[in-house]
Amino acid sequence: MSGTKVLRSLLHELRQAAPNGCIKDSLAARYVLAQYKKFATTEQQFCKARNEATFLGQTYLTYLSSQRKYLEIYKEYHGRGERSVRDTADLVGFKLPSDPK
Amino acid sequence: MAVVHTKCQVEAREPAFGVLFFPSAASPPKRFYKKTSLLSGGGGCEVVLDHRKLKTPKGTSFVVRSEPLAIAVATEFDAQKEHIERSRMHLSALCFTAIDNPNHLSKLDMVNYLLNFMATDTVLFQYDDETDLQDLQVNEWDPVIAWFNQRFQTNLQKTMNITPPQVSEEDKMRVAKHFQSYSLETLHGFIFAVDTLKSIILACAVIEQMLTVEKAVTLARLEEEYQLKFWGRVEWAHDLSQQELQSRLAAAVLFVHLNCSENFVKQKSIL
Repeated sequence: MSGTKVLRSLLHELRQAAPNGCIKDSLAARYVLAQYKKFATTEQQFCKARNEATFLGQTYLTYLSSQRKYLEIYKEYHGRGERSVRDTADLVGFKLPSDPK
Repeated sequence: MAVVHTKCQVEAREPAFGVLFFPSAASPPKRFYKKTSLLSGGGGCEVVLDHRKLKTPKGTSFVVRSEPLAIAVATEFDAQKEHIERSRMHLSALCFTAIDNPNHLSKLDMVNYLLNFMATDTVLFQYDDETDLQDLQVNEWDPVIAWFNQRFQTNLQKTMNITPPQVSEEDKMRVAKHFQSYSLETLHGFIFAVDTLKSIILACAVIEQMLTVEKAVTLARLEEEYQLKFWGRVEWAHDLSQQELQSRLAAAVLFVHLNCSENFVKQKSIL
């Protein structure tokens, strides 16, 4: 994947992973952007450091996206466990002993 | 996340009491912190959860030398929603294992483990009864074996039946020498990668950046993918295992790289 694609996808993943959806303060986003700026200019045609940085960026992208997809599949298919006692009681119309008369 | 940088300074503040993770048999612990941040000191980088320093399960302070690794761990902790799902935080788990070394493994133990794995490498066991599968294996796995043989000057041959491939002592010595050059922490990551892929050859290929993580996982599951084409793909099994392997392998690769690479930035002087 090209560098810009990786960057866009990385920022997208980080935005999804952040608790409030805002990556302005995100350490990881800042670091990634700083790394990109650092390796942006090079006069060599084959720059090993830049390729390595892109590889790392793509690996981190794979990590974040795989985790997110794993969680989605897990949530969709994983069993929800037994019904609680209250739910069962509501299902059949019973009242629990702790309920007021 | 706020950033607190105090580079090359001794901490003036009292380190707040650390956070111990008590293994709980019931539900995972709730997220008790609002913000994660980073603290860079002389010894390395530490992760701070809401003014409490992160500690490993054994109770020692969590310090890593590489800043991007600490940032990644902090991001991981930040990405937890209501509960802290420790079993899904692979990077943090790798860092904790490397710092704690709970099984007291020495470098020799780990290198021996990796060497013994070579005889049971997935990529070397090929099957020639079904032509399609055989073609697939020859096209996909043989180049990786050739690359490994060329890179490490070994002579690993694939086997077509159930007898394990012959790994000569010289091959073992050469590969052992290569692994000995890594630090103890990095080897933890290596072992994690090998256990995920069930193959040393693929693990080395992905760590040397010859394959991407997705490609390596596809190669490790080559026969499974082949059978899927006939029998169908079950999302909750195949996709799940694929995503899990990918996330584990990606964590291992990142861990190995961030632990053993040092950043050299040569600025050209414009004078």
